Amino acid sequence: MSTLDRPLKIAVMSFAHTHARGYVELLTSSGSISVLTSDPGVHPEGELRGRALAESLGVDYVDTFEELLAWHPDAVIITSENANHRAHVELAAAAGAHILCEKPLATTLDDGKAMLAAAEAAGVMLMVAFPVRFASTFAHLKADYDAGALGQVLSVRGSNNGKVPSERAWFTDPALSGGGALVDHVVHIADLLEALMGSAPLSVTAVTNRTLHAERAKAETAGLVTISYANGVIAAIDCSWSRPATAATWGGVKLTVTGTGGTVDIDFFGPRARGLDTLTGRPIESTYGPNFDEALLGTFLDAVRAGVQPQPDGNVGLRTLRIVLAAQESALTGQTVSITED
Amino acid sequence: MTNSPLKIGLIGAGGISNSHLPHLLTLGAEVFVYSEDGAPELVARYGGTAVDTLEELLELVDYVDVATPTFTHYALVKRALEAGKDVISEKPLARHDSEAAELEELAASLGRKLYPAHVVRFFPEYVRLYEAVKSGSLGELAVLRFSRSGAFPTRTPWFADRALSGGIIMDQMIHDLDIARWVAGEVTRVSAVSSQAGTAEAPVEAAHVLLTHESGAISHVAGLWGPAHLPFTTEYSVTGTLGSLEHSSAAERNYVSNLAVAVEQGGLLPDVDPAENPYFVELREYTQSFAGGAEPRVTVKDGAAAVRIANAALTSLETGQPVDLTEGK
Repeated sequence: MSTLDRPLKIAVMSFAHTHARGYVELLTSSGSISVLTSDPGVHPEGELRGRALAESLGVDYVDTFEELLAWHPDAVIITSENANHRAHVELAAAAGAHILCEKPLATTLDDGKAMLAAAEAAGVMLMVAFPVRFASTFAHLKADYDAGALGQVLSVRGSNNGKVPSERAWFTDPALSGGGALVDHVVHIADLLEALMGSAPLSVTAVTNRTLHAERAKAETAGLVTISYANGVIAAIDCSWSRPATAATWGGVKLTVTGTGGTVDIDFFGPRARGLDTLTGRPIESTYGPNFDEALLGTFLDAVRAGVQPQPDGNVGLRTLRIVLAAQESALTGQTVSITED
Repeated sequence: MTNSPLKIGLIGAGGISNSHLPHLLTLGAEVFVYSEDGAPELVARYGGTAVDTLEELLELVDYVDVATPTFTHYALVKRALEAGKDVISEKPLARHDSEAAELEELAASLGRKLYPAHVVRFFPEYVRLYEAVKSGSLGELAVLRFSRSGAFPTRTPWFADRALSGGIIMDQMIHDLDIARWVAGEVTRVSAVSSQAGTAEAPVEAAHVLLTHESGAISHVAGLWGPAHLPFTTEYSVTGTLGSLEHSSAAERNYVSNLAVAVEQGGLLPDVDPAENPYFVELREYTQSFAGGAEPRVTVKDGAAAVRIANAALTSLETGQPVDLTEGK
């Protein structure tokens, strides 16, 4: 497909996910993209959603998804609740729009498969929003890995720790989010390992508890997961919501990759200027570094313009979802769970 | 310090004896060393007296420090206990659960003291963690991570033989398995995965162990025996309802030099003040207990429990499933 001779038309479906704001800000700041948004329904008390959020962002808004899709967008960004991804992907695919779907792909395997089928049937591209693989530090790791500097990789340690989500109530409602810390945070590191090695996960073991935020937890707030991959690599992921609400920053993602050639440690959101507040003695932590969402979105928009499927695609979304579902089953049954890809 | 010098028999002259003998001597002990190999060289380096046979050693001493390969601990500790000695055993207390349990019972029935050398409990950063947890300042513990990385121990072949050493889980990760149990309480469930790569000359091995504690807290223990150039590092990150504490040995180095010409320091300049050396503190605490002092922070019960957790992890490697440690209790 040749480059379009008109501005791209990008629709944003739902403001349920807090990333919707960031995507809209990036899209509107480019100046060369037409953006239309919609966030229908009744929203929880106290959450800035719907037309009010669109107005605060200065972006065009319509009241229904029918109107949104009747606008014939080239692509749709889906930032709805995890459990609603399937319905919205199916709507967007039926409208012939390419899709960037917020992670995790879905909350059930059936939903995930149906989404891939819908995109394939409609001939549209489906990309899943895993931003961390767009970090330059990850590109550095990938280059070291591909050049053989790590030798044969055998073990990975990852942590993705954050605060318990509080800006949007649905994140901690398993009916809409699909669970707790496992579904929220395992997929990012699972995606990094997919991008690095492309090896199939074979089995998963998980332990969890609700000790942190016990008063409001409807699912696990802490989780530790081990994964065995077909290439012999073992990985461990801490996905806990273990940053206190009072922390200076949201949390972060860390990765240690070990091979016969040595180790690489990455602290993806690490760089920051540090200080102390004189009155309280509390730390001042001023993080800096690139916005990975910007690179993610740029890759998606380039793909839409060029008509070439970008990564991470729906298959990556499905594979990382299988890891989450296996981890949830393991935490429930106390058994190690095998993954079969059909 | 007691009036008459402690008479201690050190069995073994391998790697760990280099961390025991100088501190035993600093404590004022009279040390006799028996080893199948290397005893004269060891005493030439630090002091003490080499003896030719185990029988001779047991005749000469009041206490025994077993610092030999893992698979020999059981027989040597048993022999020393039966000879009427209080005993320090290098970790793990024994290779197998039944052996550890038998030693625990034997020590009790003979009225002898037996202390496993879980030296990490004497490292100040782990003491700080224990104190923070026990003081309640972290609240109820939720999630704990421990990591320990270094070069694969290739200096002697038995480390690489899982039947003899128990591999990285029984030899290296048992330190953090013990610490996890120390700070977060009894362990009810254990799972493990491991991976090996490299060559016979340059092997690497890694493992991850997940623990569920009786309290509901969960722990991840990561171990790495990496390539020869890898520096030794440890990390922990512990979060409870009221706070968190973490430590990275690599991040806390407080002497960093970038000198054009490195000055020869002439021998082993210690990284920490010798009086605070964890091995020294450990051996002081054990020998003071032998001399009638308080029970040390590590008991034979802890040593046997650590062996059970490590063996449960090894069982999990074989079966591919978690192991319930509450069964049969």
